[in-house]
Amino acid sequence: MNEEGSIERENAAPVAAEYVLGVLSAQEHRNFKARLLREPALAAEVEFWEGKLGALASEIKSVSPPDRIWSRIETALPANNAVRFLGLWQSLPFWRWAAIGSAAIAAASLAALIYVGQPPGPNPPLVAKLDVSGGQVGFVAAVDREGGGLTIVPASATDVKQRVLELWLIAPGDQPRSLGLIEPGRPIHINLPAALIQRVAPDATLAVSLEPPGGSPTGLPTGQVIASGKLTPL
Amino acid sequence: MPRAATHSPVAMEQEAASTQLAAAIVRIAAGDRNALKLVYRDTAAKLFGVCLRILHDQGEAEDVLQDVYLAVWRRAAMFDPRRASPASWLVAIARNRSIDRLRSGAFVRRMQSIDGALDIASNAPDALEQVETAEERQRLIRCLDELEPQDAGAIRAAFLDGTTYEMLADQLKIPLGTMKSRIRRSLIKLRACLEK
Repeated sequence: MNEEGSIERENAAPVAAEYVLGVLSAQEHRNFKARLLREPALAAEVEFWEGKLGALASEIKSVSPPDRIWSRIETALPANNAVRFLGLWQSLPFWRWAAIGSAAIAAASLAALIYVGQPPGPNPPLVAKLDVSGGQVGFVAAVDREGGGLTIVPASATDVKQRVLELWLIAPGDQPRSLGLIEPGRPIHINLPAALIQRVAPDATLAVSLEPPGGSPTGLPTGQVIASGKLTPL
Repeated sequence: MPRAATHSPVAMEQEAASTQLAAAIVRIAAGDRNALKLVYRDTAAKLFGVCLRILHDQGEAEDVLQDVYLAVWRRAAMFDPRRASPASWLVAIARNRSIDRLRSGAFVRRMQSIDGALDIASNAPDALEQVETAEERQRLIRCLDELEPQDAGAIRAAFLDGTTYEMLADQLKIPLGTMKSRIRRSLIKLRACLEK
């Protein structure tokens, strides 16, 4: 099987590279495009070459396009400009991205939420960086107050050993309220209970504690708090 | 994909620019027009250069560039930051659209008409310039250097100019079949080197 696989790969390699380079004739180019839709292995090969050869683009001189091009693009876009915060949660790249799980990437997802075109509303989304000891980012959380959802993305690997992670909301002057269990290696989206949404406000703190399997038996954190951070409006 | 740790300020800057660009594409997938505008602002000059270089025609390149960003808008949801850098993803779209246009036979490329356009220097911020990591480029150049110089040159020309086998064979005065088998052999060698 392996041998067959590698032979196929070798045959695929040049034609995918030829396609990416653009040396094929018009007919061959079309044929390959049709194959590309049917054969995922070819698509991976094309990605490989696009990624590697892409570096050659630095030899191409940049030329400012005339301003009218952007106007034409804008006109051709669908009319609806309503960007809903929810859109992000439904965006596949966001999840793929969040799933990478490195601190840099999680911080970047946060940056994506913060910096790119978020019109301020009456209830702007809230975000929090949950720092672990040493000031490292442990988790990044974002709350969509309109939709009542909270997403928390682990920014670094946490070794939990036989324990589970429980997420807590601590509003000023209030006792910790459990928001449920989260996973050490995976972003999680939580639908906030209606009773808690109003407590999810700027200056509330999110905290993650280590608890026995099944979560805290008392309804309050019983184990070590490994990360915490304040919610702030976008 | 997190790269091996490089801590030079330049590498960090590249990482940050690349991350910002990826962030913007993620927002585009969520339907954010402002994010598209941001990506356009930071990458249009480079991608226009890519289109012009292949098409050699200002008007055609303008049409294709418009098409490129509409494709970015539609296809942002297919962008997978784990598998592709935003720079190579964008360059690939610009090259593909340009080559499709060229191969469609809808117009005949005139090699001279571009010279004037190329002289217009760009002052636009160029995110793509920053995110191409020097490391990746050096590795590619090292691997190309291991090939026969003429083959390496042909591969470069094909990528940059959208030159077909037929045109290459013509330019180098080599039979088409020979041209193809030489480039194929070189591509297999190149792949092995790039994979190392």
